[in-house]
Amino acid sequence: MRLLALAIRSLKETYRDPLALGFLLGFPLVFMLLFGSIFSSDELPNFAVGVIDEDNTAMSQAFVDQALPMVPVLEISSYDDTDTALKDLKFGELNAYIVIPPGFGQQVSSNWQGAKADILLNMTYDESDLTISEQLISIINEVTRAFARVEVPVTVTAEPIYVETEINYIDFIGPGIIVFGILIIIPTAARTMVSDKEKGMLARLLTTPAHPTDFILGYSVSLILIAAAQILIIMLAAWLFGLNIIGNPFLAFLVFLLTSICCIGIGMVVASVTRTENQAEPLCWLFAMPLAAISGCWFSIEMMPSYLRAVAYAFPFAHTIDAARAILIRGVGLEAVSYDIIFLAGWAVAIFAIGVLLFRRSMRS
Amino acid sequence: MTSPNDDFAVQTLKLSRKFGDLTAVDGIDLNIKKGELFALLGPNGAGKTTTINMLCCLLKPTGGTARIMGYDILKQPYRVKEIIGVSPQETVISERLNSRENLELIGRTHGMEAAELKSRSRELLATMGLEARAKDQVRKFSGGMKRRLNIMMALVHDPQVVFLDEPTLGLDPQARRAIWEYIGRLKKEKTILLTTHYMDEADSLADRIGIIDEGKIVALGTGHELKNSLLDKQTMVVQAQDITPQAIDKMRAKYAEVEATGNTVVISDKQLVFQEIVGLLHDAGVEVRSAYIKEPTLDDVFLRITGKELRE
Repeated sequence: MRLLALAIRSLKETYRDPLALGFLLGFPLVFMLLFGSIFSSDELPNFAVGVIDEDNTAMSQAFVDQALPMVPVLEISSYDDTDTALKDLKFGELNAYIVIPPGFGQQVSSNWQGAKADILLNMTYDESDLTISEQLISIINEVTRAFARVEVPVTVTAEPIYVETEINYIDFIGPGIIVFGILIIIPTAARTMVSDKEKGMLARLLTTPAHPTDFILGYSVSLILIAAAQILIIMLAAWLFGLNIIGNPFLAFLVFLLTSICCIGIGMVVASVTRTENQAEPLCWLFAMPLAAISGCWFSIEMMPSYLRAVAYAFPFAHTIDAARAILIRGVGLEAVSYDIIFLAGWAVAIFAIGVLLFRRSMRS
Repeated sequence: MTSPNDDFAVQTLKLSRKFGDLTAVDGIDLNIKKGELFALLGPNGAGKTTTINMLCCLLKPTGGTARIMGYDILKQPYRVKEIIGVSPQETVISERLNSRENLELIGRTHGMEAAELKSRSRELLATMGLEARAKDQVRKFSGGMKRRLNIMMALVHDPQVVFLDEPTLGLDPQARRAIWEYIGRLKKEKTILLTTHYMDEADSLADRIGIIDEGKIVALGTGHELKNSLLDKQTMVVQAQDITPQAIDKMRAKYAEVEATGNTVVISDKQLVFQEIVGLLHDAGVEVRSAYIKEPTLDDVFLRITGKELRE
């Protein structure tokens, strides 16, 4: 009852404060827009496809030079060997490459002459983007059938590889930006609590029969609700910006929510050791910004020295980004991210316990 | 030590609070009767707010204790919190909530039922003349309106004992009078402990006044009693023209204290006779424009006891 009254108050105060709201939602959205427009090309779906002609017959050359360029969404480029093509695929220059195996010309000729022969093509693609790869397989399939004048589907041997792309896709940057948005809960939580201390509202409410626990739960409930709403909105925005959510969005939501609870705990600790909003806010950023950087919010954590990675993995956010990427991009299930989830949950419980302890003490003084 | 007494709403027993070397409240013994409006009058830093904070269980005393309606502030703080209402010195309201929501926040932390709370808020808003603005966020309110809301929040749960810490601090005279009028209406219904550094506020509102300085109660009584303690000395203020040094000397020979500045002469002694002074001045060739015997104020009381002005 008391708890609810206090929680509802905090919620009202937050959603009626345009600045706080803009900060919570606007900031990450602006980032997403920025990254999204820098790194995603508007011409999508335009598929960059490399071709390696190992058959090297007039027939295969006609396929590469005339048939494939007829498809408007394909950008065809020829490669001499698979190594170069693979490298370009990994760097995100290509969506896929096709190897025309020896015997292709023969197979097509037989079909033209009325004898049914299987046609084989070998395609390697980046599976981190399933929508692209699936469309590509069907496009290649169709264009080959048209070229070979066959009714039966052409066998395209697909070889999916998982490409840990460089910062080239919103798919990669998306989870990092979402986590960055979640980090904003730290100053939000600290501000909510410190402003009550600073303005005397906490003292005033402490002259009523409300218990310290009522306050802490009241803050927590309202902040968790705010965090949940924020995560939903940012995830939705990321999806609208073109983030392909392959895995279970609810599992990703759970990972993000656990991270938010860690953030609320951190905010509570900051609120306990500061007296004014002006002290709390910079302290939060001092903590959140470097952590966002080393946790891989903006670039891959792999290129960092190992000691920094060790620091990053002592905090929740690198785990969140790993888990979120695995779920959203690779579509893995609960089992694959269970370690990260347990780590996040443990961290949330620990930081919350410390926060509650410290904040209760700071209330008494 | 005083024993618990059912007639008293607030009883402090050697109540003390130190902050390091500083003794903010120094062994105060106060007995405030049920239904009484008691004013704690003193300059800034005298220990008024520290006293209030201890009485409403925000601050632990470093010595002594107090009872509110018989409940000990140290042993039964939650019983105390249930029956008190506190209006802090600073205006503590939630700017983003409207006035009704602010009232309901306090009411609900006191465990009030929704229906009861609703009618009570409406009643309070009407009494304080804030009905029309009930749905506006209070950040749009004027200083006086915020101050009124600040007081209403102490009353929403119908407490038995009300603490008003500097209720009219920083308000213009008109807004102050509106609040005085409201506090006057509360009298008798509730026990009220009010702190102020405005002597006219204490004088016009309080049943009894305790003058506090450097953490100690230095004088206690009704406004009348306190001022009557100064009756061993009278002061007369004379406005006149052509005040000559000779005339001043003549006055000095007869009265204990004579001070002349410009066209004003202030004369003080145990007993003053109006006609006598006017006559003396007239004989010395001074033309008296106006003259009056000055009523002692609480300022004078304070000055007499502490040797300091109440307001610097």
